[in-house]
Amino acid sequence: MCIAVPVRILDVDEGKMPMGHVDHDGVSVSCCFAYTPQAQVGHYAIVQNGFAIDVMDAETAAKSLELFAEIAAMNENTELHVNE
Amino acid sequence: MTQRIELGQIIDAAPARVVVTRDLAGSPTQAAFDLSGLPRVDSFLVGRPVLEVPKLVERLCGICPVAHHLAGMRALEALAGIDALPPTAVAVRRLLHHAGVIDIHAVGMFSTFRDEALALRRFAKAVMTAAGSPGHFPTTAVPGGVVAPADVTQLDTCHVLLTDAFSAASRIAEQSLALSAPVDRFCGVDLALTGADGRLDLFGNALRAVAADGNPVIAAATAYEWDSLIVETVPGSATPKPYLVALGADAGAYRVGPVAQLRTGQVMTPIAASLQREWRASGAGAAAARAIITVHAIEVIEDLLDSPDLIAGESSVGFPQVLPQQVGVGWVDSARGLLVHRYESDEQGRVRAATILTPTAQNEPWLGELLLQAAGAENNSEVRAGMEEAIREADPCLPCSSAPAGTMDLVVDSVVG
Repeated sequence: MCIAVPVRILDVDEGKMPMGHVDHDGVSVSCCFAYTPQAQVGHYAIVQNGFAIDVMDAETAAKSLELFAEIAAMNENTELHVNE
Repeated sequence: MTQRIELGQIIDAAPARVVVTRDLAGSPTQAAFDLSGLPRVDSFLVGRPVLEVPKLVERLCGICPVAHHLAGMRALEALAGIDALPPTAVAVRRLLHHAGVIDIHAVGMFSTFRDEALALRRFAKAVMTAAGSPGHFPTTAVPGGVVAPADVTQLDTCHVLLTDAFSAASRIAEQSLALSAPVDRFCGVDLALTGADGRLDLFGNALRAVAADGNPVIAAATAYEWDSLIVETVPGSATPKPYLVALGADAGAYRVGPVAQLRTGQVMTPIAASLQREWRASGAGAAAARAIITVHAIEVIEDLLDSPDLIAGESSVGFPQVLPQQVGVGWVDSARGLLVHRYESDEQGRVRAATILTPTAQNEPWLGELLLQAAGAENNSEVRAGMEEAIREADPCLPCSSAPAGTMDLVVDSVVG
């Protein structure tokens, strides 16, 4: 099943193919926001293949991120690997 | 056994990996797409309150949250023995589901049809907002119904955006019908949801299966029959290789998704029905099928927008506080095809076992066949081009599927066996 991890939006350009960056666990990753013109710095994005496919506020993203952490904690045999 | 979820693969486009098995003469005998980037979350759900499962899965699989939201609610209602919902709940859920289908298909169309995809996206978001889900994660349905009827003001916005969305989808469909596609040599069964009349219904309650020769294998099965219909060869695996019990493991391989949807049932909306006839006659592939299903979803929404059930009426039926110890199965036919949630609850209302069977997992054997076809090409560049085309055709829910043409990061490993 696909896993969608929200990542914080660091900056967004303007224009028809706006580029920007998201914070992926402390690492700045380039991303295209053409599909999400409503993207705002400080909000969070779901990114696939370098494209932000949707955005959400920090509170909504926090619930998802808490869930990933909770599942990892609940399942001692599960490892969540970021930036490997 | 430790299950590893590589979150980095989801953020950065991980390469698509294909393993081709060749005989000693170098001829390909088997090809497999690596789905290890799509872990099963079933085991994570065990022990959780069963009522929480839809919300958990929506948030984990944030790519298609609407489909998981609705399939999960249906599974809970099956657990509670609720078969019928108020007309308003059905109408609002149908609205949400078809908008979700458009939204997902629009993502895949973006690289080729940017302006059209954005028009479709605007329309889908407006419809989902009208159906009570303004954010990324849906908030429309509750066990037993929906939170509220549709928002009348937002429905006006949907009417305004409808024409642009329909024009965009029609343009994409017409252009996609002219595109070449891999020859469809799939000899398995096509599965899709239908209404009681056997016609395609992405939010239907009946499962229909049609053999490659067009004859029905299953006319209309209900979700209650799921356990006797489909079995996973490797239960819980990322590549479970499910098959139709009636046909056995060897002959029971099946396919889901837009191609299967158009092959399985007659489309009930007029413009998409006309495009479906053209599609069947042309030999066009999945790109055109996706566009035609998008047209169909817009037509369904257009009809729903005028339904009085959408804006007034009872929103839900009572839902029991204590769920019986039994199995509940819920499904929807999502953008990528049949999505199934199966929950088994214990005496405390917690998950004893759960199965989330995604379209990508179900289509893995079909994708393997397409890749094997491509592996037989004469030179490496043709092999790579054919494999890229095969992956786009089967459309696994991975970043590689939406890469612009010619840019897919593809790694092909060959083994002798």
